[in-house]
Amino acid sequence: MELSDRTGTLMSGRFLSALVPFLCGVLAVLFSNLPLSLTNGLVPAPLLALVPIYFWCLVRPDLMTPAAVFGIGLFQDIMAGGPPGVWTLSFVVTYAVIERQREAFAGLSGLGAVLGFATAALIASACAYATVALYYWHLPPIAPIVAELVVTVLFYIPGVYVVGVVHRRLVGPLRSDF
Amino acid sequence: MANGTWKIARRGNTQLPLVIVLALAVALVLLGRAQANLFDRARTVIIDRLQPVLVVAHAPVTQFDRWIGSINELFAVYRENLQLKDENARLKQWHNVAVVMQDRVKRYQLLLHAVPDPDVHSVLSQVIGRANRPFLQTMILDAGAANSAKPGEAVVDARGMIGRVYLTGQHTSWVILLTDLNSRIPVTVAPGNHQAIMVGDNTAMPTLDTMSQTVTLHAGDQVVSSGDGGLLPPGLPIGTVVGQAGQYRVALLADGASAQDVEILAFRRPPEELPADVQNQLPAVAAGLKPAAPPPPAPADAPVLPAQAAAARGTSTKPAAPKVTKPAPDVTAAAQQAAPGTSETPADGADQDR
Repeated sequence: MELSDRTGTLMSGRFLSALVPFLCGVLAVLFSNLPLSLTNGLVPAPLLALVPIYFWCLVRPDLMTPAAVFGIGLFQDIMAGGPPGVWTLSFVVTYAVIERQREAFAGLSGLGAVLGFATAALIASACAYATVALYYWHLPPIAPIVAELVVTVLFYIPGVYVVGVVHRRLVGPLRSDF
Repeated sequence: MANGTWKIARRGNTQLPLVIVLALAVALVLLGRAQANLFDRARTVIIDRLQPVLVVAHAPVTQFDRWIGSINELFAVYRENLQLKDENARLKQWHNVAVVMQDRVKRYQLLLHAVPDPDVHSVLSQVIGRANRPFLQTMILDAGAANSAKPGEAVVDARGMIGRVYLTGQHTSWVILLTDLNSRIPVTVAPGNHQAIMVGDNTAMPTLDTMSQTVTLHAGDQVVSSGDGGLLPPGLPIGTVVGQAGQYRVALLADGASAQDVEILAFRRPPEELPADVQNQLPAVAAGLKPAAPPPPAPADAPVLPAQAAAARGTSTKPAAPKVTKPAPDVTAAAQQAAPGTSETPADGADQDR
């Protein structure tokens, strides 16, 4: 009886810990897509959802699965408006690149880590830009997407701090093998 | 940073799901291409649920914006005050001229029995959110289907047109701004009444595609909505032309980024219908023409002409020329043709009334 209780707790802990990264992504999408701006729309909202995707893809790719990335991208598409599927495809492509080059990205530290994230954000932005260009069959202005890329990279440092705290405080204790 | 404190888990075998998810993402883009409003319903439901939160959260944000804006204004307040006084004096003169012209136009319309412009009702609403994305520039209003707002309706502030509603929830509406990549508005450029399409490209000044390549516009020409399509009222002030030939752009009068209280214009031109008493008549009769008289019956002993014989067989050697009856002059139609600008001027008057 005691063994089954422990097994049940372990399983629910694993399930919750697997859910936390996805929920972080969903919350990031919700937060960054709230239609409120302190700058009267002068500065675009950052792609905050890319921070948990990048973090857990490097640290625990078993917790940030391709399906979870697809779900986060889908929610970003729903909330952001614009052509459907653009951010889903961009996030999945970015995830695929990070996952392939995981050893190289995970080895970066300090400013290198920020540049690593900037590379991931650049891939996501370039993919979104190319998809929209194909969608409308003409090149949209590049300045807005560059501005969003810059803001996203600037928000990486506070974003990754929050995600790191969530990982240590929530994901770690929920998994006995952490 | 990454490997300093974090434990790196071993690499999982995610190749197969990744390929499947990639294929799904591509399929989603293709599906979105076929059905562009795929997620619109879900988005409106979410924002409808968030509306109370947005209303509460928007107040301090607006206050913060005003506070930031007031810092910049402090440095230019004296100079702007002088400019405004000067501008106000000139506008008062123009206001008097406009009132006189409005009365004159109304008198002409009465004399010519012109068809009156349809009434434009409006819903006053407040901006509760703005989204400035790389591929979408929009604002969210606190009026939705419950307030009779409908997709396609124009959104204006005191200065001019801001955009049009493209999505309505129960209590919220999404407005696509004139600067957005997806915005296409039929406009008229005055003087000259040149027809054009104003195309947003996510920059502050939308481009102007004139219908005719030979048209030359000038900086400062007025751009107003043309009303083509029947969704937007004609004559809504939009902006002024800037730029040179081949690269015309429109400097917008209204600023979507700072507008707080806006109006949704409930304008929809009703489809033209025939009066009830003429609906069952032939088109010629309904148009006021005399019906063609039936041919007199031929006398029994009259010789049959070859053409009549062919007609009786169902063939014709030469088509008979249609009989043209000159219609009685239609006063209303003549008045509309004589004064093509009358459809815009009263709308301007309506704008003033608003």
